[in-house]
Amino acid sequence: MTFDFRIFSVMLAFAALIFAPAVEAQNRLGNSELNVPATMIAESQKVKAGQNVTLAFVMEPKPTWHGYWENPGDAGIGMSFDWTLPAGVTAGKAQFQVPDRLLISGIMNYVYKGDYAVLVNLTLSDRVQPGPLPISVKSEWLSCTDEICVPEQDEMSITLQVVGKDAEIVLDKRFNGFRAALPRPLGSEASFAVTDDLFRLSIPLPASVALDTPYFFIHDDGIVDYAAPQKFSRDGDRLILETQARGDGLDMISGVLKIGDDMGLSFTATRGDVAMTGVPLRAENGPQDQNLASLLFLALGGAIAGGLLLNLMPCVFPILSLKAISLAKAGGNEAVVRRDALAYTAGVVLVATLLGAILLGLRASGAAVGWAFQLQDPRIIFVLLALVTAIGFNLAGMFELPNINFGNKLAKKDGPAGSFWTGALAAFVATPCTGPFMAAALGATIVLPPIAALVIFAGLGVGLALPFLLIAFVPAIRSRLPKPGPWLEGFRKAMAIPMFLTSIGLIWLLGRQIGTDALGLSLIFLLLVALILWWFGGAQMKGSSRGALTSAAMVAAILGGIIALPGEAAMDSRKLASNSAATLPSEPFSEARLSELRASDQPVFAYFTADWCITCKANEAAAIQRTETADAFAAAQVAVLMGDWTRPDPVISQFLEKHGRAGVPLYLYYAPGQEPVILPQILTVATLTELVGKAA
Amino acid sequence: MRNFPAIATATITAIALASPLAAAQRTGATAQDFKLTDVNGKTVQLSEFRGKTVVLEWHNPGCPFVSKHYNSGNMQMTQKAARAQGAVWLTINSGAKGKQGHMTGAEAKALIAKQNIQSNNYLFDTKGLVGKAYGAKTTPHMYIIDAAGTLVYQGGIDDKPTANPADIKIARNHVLEALGEIKSGNKVSVAHSRPYGCSVKYAS
Repeated sequence: MTFDFRIFSVMLAFAALIFAPAVEAQNRLGNSELNVPATMIAESQKVKAGQNVTLAFVMEPKPTWHGYWENPGDAGIGMSFDWTLPAGVTAGKAQFQVPDRLLISGIMNYVYKGDYAVLVNLTLSDRVQPGPLPISVKSEWLSCTDEICVPEQDEMSITLQVVGKDAEIVLDKRFNGFRAALPRPLGSEASFAVTDDLFRLSIPLPASVALDTPYFFIHDDGIVDYAAPQKFSRDGDRLILETQARGDGLDMISGVLKIGDDMGLSFTATRGDVAMTGVPLRAENGPQDQNLASLLFLALGGAIAGGLLLNLMPCVFPILSLKAISLAKAGGNEAVVRRDALAYTAGVVLVATLLGAILLGLRASGAAVGWAFQLQDPRIIFVLLALVTAIGFNLAGMFELPNINFGNKLAKKDGPAGSFWTGALAAFVATPCTGPFMAAALGATIVLPPIAALVIFAGLGVGLALPFLLIAFVPAIRSRLPKPGPWLEGFRKAMAIPMFLTSIGLIWLLGRQIGTDALGLSLIFLLLVALILWWFGGAQMKGSSRGALTSAAMVAAILGGIIALPGEAAMDSRKLASNSAATLPSEPFSEARLSELRASDQPVFAYFTADWCITCKANEAAAIQRTETADAFAAAQVAVLMGDWTRPDPVISQFLEKHGRAGVPLYLYYAPGQEPVILPQILTVATLTELVGKAA
Repeated sequence: MRNFPAIATATITAIALASPLAAAQRTGATAQDFKLTDVNGKTVQLSEFRGKTVVLEWHNPGCPFVSKHYNSGNMQMTQKAARAQGAVWLTINSGAKGKQGHMTGAEAKALIAKQNIQSNNYLFDTKGLVGKAYGAKTTPHMYIIDAAGTLVYQGGIDDKPTANPADIKIARNHVLEALGEIKSGNKVSVAHSRPYGCSVKYAS
């Protein structure tokens, strides 16, 4: 062999530099042949001696194929790595993202059905010299469909570049996404027991953490029956699991509790006594088909009744009552009335179903949203506010809508299209009022399959349209409605009052979300909307149409209002500020704010917490959120920063890692001009007050 | 006699139903009896072999992990060694109709001849009742029952869970080791291991 590997490495490195920053590995076999192709990428092509770099194996299963978690379950095999590394480089244990379950004919598989990434940390010793750093690995994994399995393997290599201490390192942002799906350390130990073929596990988890269908993925084989159902119950701050045992050979086990999509908590458990106490959670397999059917009927009934009640809500009643009366007027022509009622129903049902479909879509895409989702977003509240206010002005007679005409000309001008749009509008404005008494029925849509859930949303629409259908199809009801006349104009104007009440309700809601400053700005845009409508109405009086211009101006005003709404960061701080009923108020953590406070020589107490972290919650209750602490901190002018890690946050993750922590809690105290002190995991009031006492 | 398979099936059903949710057999306990039909339509019952060591092997000819042990001759060698010491080897296929690895009697006979499979009987468990009663999860999945009818081993064929035939040389063949220990009157030292391979292709 006259081939000089060093020269070859330099050439490779050169090539890598040319093609940077795409640090993708070369696959010997070529990805296209594999069913679950793997690509190795580095978070940064440039690395420094004495530091770490994370590699990711990006796995992209072809449709119907899946790959396996580190413990594959009953069948299947995890992924193996056979590294070829230069001297001074070591590879850590592979880190796997939170897996899915796949039960086929009673055989449980712990898998990834979609794209996933496996992360490995490489550690470089201090002695690694600058220059190219060739990394290669031979990896084997199992790829399966529901029917067949194919063992796959690939040899992948990548050339990193060791750079000097001062060189700038650019990190690949995709890694933040990969890490977000990793399980996060729970921070407390669980205990388990195996008795009479039953495996029981007691996990410390605050009672306040919402759980839907948790599942425990165990790392160790031979302890539990993977395919057996997992029964959970909650007893205060403990989550207790019971399932079939398989064996009893270990004194310590570990695993991941999955509590949501891509959301898992990892922990270890040691032997202890575990009793199945507390309140049972719904069985993990969900309701059986029969229950599902009865649940569907119950929920559908609830939805229809709820829709019916909605007719009385201040936001809907004005539209409906006027429409109903105008229908009654057309009393003579049965066919027209029925056609209008059906068109109206179609509009209501369609919009209700559409809103439901959007909700389901959002939830499927991983957003944690409930039915009130549209009201959690200030942008949607603002649009609704503009709409409701405009309807109020319309009822008050400031302008007429060409299509949606509530006046007494209705019967003549309004065709089925008008009725359809009235229905669509009614369903849309009704959403702010759906909340409380629809909660149960809509909650059921979370459990039901999507089609059944859509049926519920449609049921809501049917309920909303029901009075109308009755008026149209039962002449006796129609004849009892008051005859339209000049009084109707007055009634219509009076109906503007409940509409404006709805506006006030929305303003209040918006104010709570964005604060009074931002609310003021939003109201200015609302005024602009009103002015445009006034101008539009003025033109109508003179008989000219400014429809196109008005529409454009309206869109501009509403968009302006949306853009003027505060960003998400401000929203978060608002959320935290509203938490400042807390004894010790805090600001949200950011590195920028921390350095700002440090630069101004203010002492800083930074704490990192998560809703699911029992140690964190215990410390907050026992030491942080205490009057003594708050008084001491106030006296010493200590700034408090709080990092909430309940949802994955790459900034906080990196900060924790920098302080040698994989998870929360982390408590830091920065005395002015000094290195930060990492406080113990168990805090007392004395620890905190003495700390600032010394500083002061 | 024509009704015999039907009776056998009924018996198996009865046995399987007698222990609902018994997803597995317990090592150290009496192994559950069963009756299955072999490639020639002959009924084979586990209890016939009381007094002899019995090895059960779950099989699926389409599974790459099964191929690893047959193409390399490792499984046939293990079968031969078992029979040489007087043990009975039953190969069981729990693949349902239409699933990977399902075979007719004729197809199975052709495969036995082609691969020189050395087991005493090749049995069909198309309904998956015996497989589920034993908690067979993978192909291969191995069980050893001693002369007294006690289950003494369940798990994988060896301790190298890969599809790479090169690993056979460096693996511990759990079945060979256990058979050796039984022959010399010792307790089976590794009575449990993690089975590896493809999932058994049950009907449902």
